Amino acid sequence: MWFSVAIQNCNAAGGAGRKVTDYIADMNLLVIEDDATTGTYIARGLREEGHVVDLAQDGSEGLTLAAAGTYDVMIVDRMLPQVDGLTLVKTLREAGNTTPVLFLTAMGSVEDRIGGLNAGGDDYLVKPFAFGELSARVTALGRRPQAVERETALHAGDLTLDLLTRKVVRGDQEIDLLPREYALLEFLLRRKGRVQTRTMLLEGVWDLSFDPMTNVVETHVSRLRAKVDKPFKTELIKTVRGAGYRIDG
Amino acid sequence: MTSVWRSMPLRLALMLVILFGTVSLLSLAASYAFTRAAFEQSVRDDLAQDLAGFRAAPSARAVALLVQAESEGTDPDRLVLSYVTRTGRIYGNGAIARDDEGFHIISLEEGRATLDGEYLALSERLYGGRLTIARSRAEIEALQPVFLNILWISLLPTVLIALSGGLILGRRSQRHVEVIRATLEQLTGGDLAARVDRGPRWSDDLARIGGAVNGMAQAQERSVAALRQVSSDIAHDLKTPVQRVSLRLEALADAVPDGEAADLVAQTRTEVDGISSVFTSLLQLAQVENSALKAQFVPVDLTKLCHTMVEVYEPSAAQNGQTLTFDGPDEVMASGEKTLLGQMIANLLENALRHAGQGAVIKVSLENTPTGPLLQVSDNGPGIPENEYPRVTERLYRLEQSRNTPGNGLGLSLVDGVARLHDAELSFEDAKPGLRVSVQFPTL
Repeated sequence: MWFSVAIQNCNAAGGAGRKVTDYIADMNLLVIEDDATTGTYIARGLREEGHVVDLAQDGSEGLTLAAAGTYDVMIVDRMLPQVDGLTLVKTLREAGNTTPVLFLTAMGSVEDRIGGLNAGGDDYLVKPFAFGELSARVTALGRRPQAVERETALHAGDLTLDLLTRKVVRGDQEIDLLPREYALLEFLLRRKGRVQTRTMLLEGVWDLSFDPMTNVVETHVSRLRAKVDKPFKTELIKTVRGAGYRIDG
Repeated sequence: MTSVWRSMPLRLALMLVILFGTVSLLSLAASYAFTRAAFEQSVRDDLAQDLAGFRAAPSARAVALLVQAESEGTDPDRLVLSYVTRTGRIYGNGAIARDDEGFHIISLEEGRATLDGEYLALSERLYGGRLTIARSRAEIEALQPVFLNILWISLLPTVLIALSGGLILGRRSQRHVEVIRATLEQLTGGDLAARVDRGPRWSDDLARIGGAVNGMAQAQERSVAALRQVSSDIAHDLKTPVQRVSLRLEALADAVPDGEAADLVAQTRTEVDGISSVFTSLLQLAQVENSALKAQFVPVDLTKLCHTMVEVYEPSAAQNGQTLTFDGPDEVMASGEKTLLGQMIANLLENALRHAGQGAVIKVSLENTPTGPLLQVSDNGPGIPENEYPRVTERLYRLEQSRNTPGNGLGLSLVDGVARLHDAELSFEDAKPGLRVSVQFPTL
């Protein structure tokens, strides 16, 4: 069913420019956000990507919807009228609901992240955020319960990354990568078709969650590109404007 | 540290000891003098009475016999009787021939060696001879050591007790004064949460001063907190509208075709991102001032963190033609919050990358010193003037020379905040040339 919907989705939005996720099946999403403008924009953007989105404007409405419906991912603002985001998620978790939750927060990061994750959140995003970041993270969360693939090699186009020998070959040419370049390529390949934002790359490849003021991630990607893409005709690592990077299949 | 000898209670104790000692000495001296005088008087009376007995004798012969008989059983150490007749015959148990009459203090040393010490003698001419009766003054002389003993026994313990009491009180009050002084120093150093911890044994006056210091600190802390709350509230309240602007701009960027309009939108988005980063930094600053975060501290391997950070920033440095290196032992552990420590190192690196200039060499070094882990980031760029060191960690402060480079003037404030949260000390020095920033962590 997911597959057919995905095709339909591709047809519907084909080439519309704004698409961040190309082949991921649409999901049932619940957005609980009290700021109407932000909530509407998030909902509209996610719908444009082919997801089915319900929008709740306060905690109690959100709790009712969350308890009744079956969602793939919930996007919850931490500060909500009536029932705040933390309590909402705690209540859901106590009731046995395991739907992945992305917290939106307007507060500082560290304490918030720890508090949010302790309450049962799966990821968090600090306001103001870019839509691309939100979309990429929602997609990552929706795909989280992924079976560990027992593959010994990752492929994309004519590129093969051998997980056992750590050799990377494109066409008939072997590419020599530094350890961190290899890790970056592996991370993108494992999430083939899905956008990875700069902060997701920092978290995933370097295990760092901080706010770089300079374009540190870009420089790493461009180094990787110089080895993986530049000598070849087609570009494997794509830049998704306002969001991040992606390798397509 | 001021000497305990100069503390107030000890000075009071010393003064009391001197006063008490003087009064005791004077009264002892007076009673010694009185007692001695009384003893002497009684000896004189005894002598006069003795003499009166001999005067009753009818002739020189009788006196001589009486003296002889009396002196027979008498210990010359106590009483010496002597009658020297006109012809020069000596009777008695001693030979004292004095021409003058009345009382004398005499020594018999020259006469008979066995008779030593001083005697009080009374002489009188009687029937042509000279009668002298001398009584030993030993009892009177014995008073002196007795009184000296009384002096030691009564005065010495008093002085000792008063002195040690004063010393203990002085020490205690000095300790309490030291607590107040240390608190004031902490407050001056910017730790507004410092309070004077008054114990139940504090003297009333010091406790009152401590209370007043605490009251002042609390008022100060409240007003500073209110000020900080305002800046964090502003940042917080503006985040939602900035979020809306950011999302709308994003939608706009997708809607407009490439060209001048798209460039304008892109530039505006960059500006909005800048505003967001200021807000994020302000909120982060507010966050690191909350010492409750310390409860979340875990051991963090600084070597690993520095290594990763240097690796992350290395390509950016290479792009500027700069060299970024790391040097440190295999493991340096500190207690802290990894994300904040990472942000601190990132800010230090970005600061160096931004201001050290093209071709600069930036060194990150880590060291286990006896006083704890020491993290240093140094460059060989233009550095900053020494008089600016205290100001660069101020919020939104930017050096004149860096007005035109990117940055929001909050990077080093956050470094300072994170360092403080970790009880680490941030300092700047001239790397000759360039700037060296040091973060000295406490021992784990």
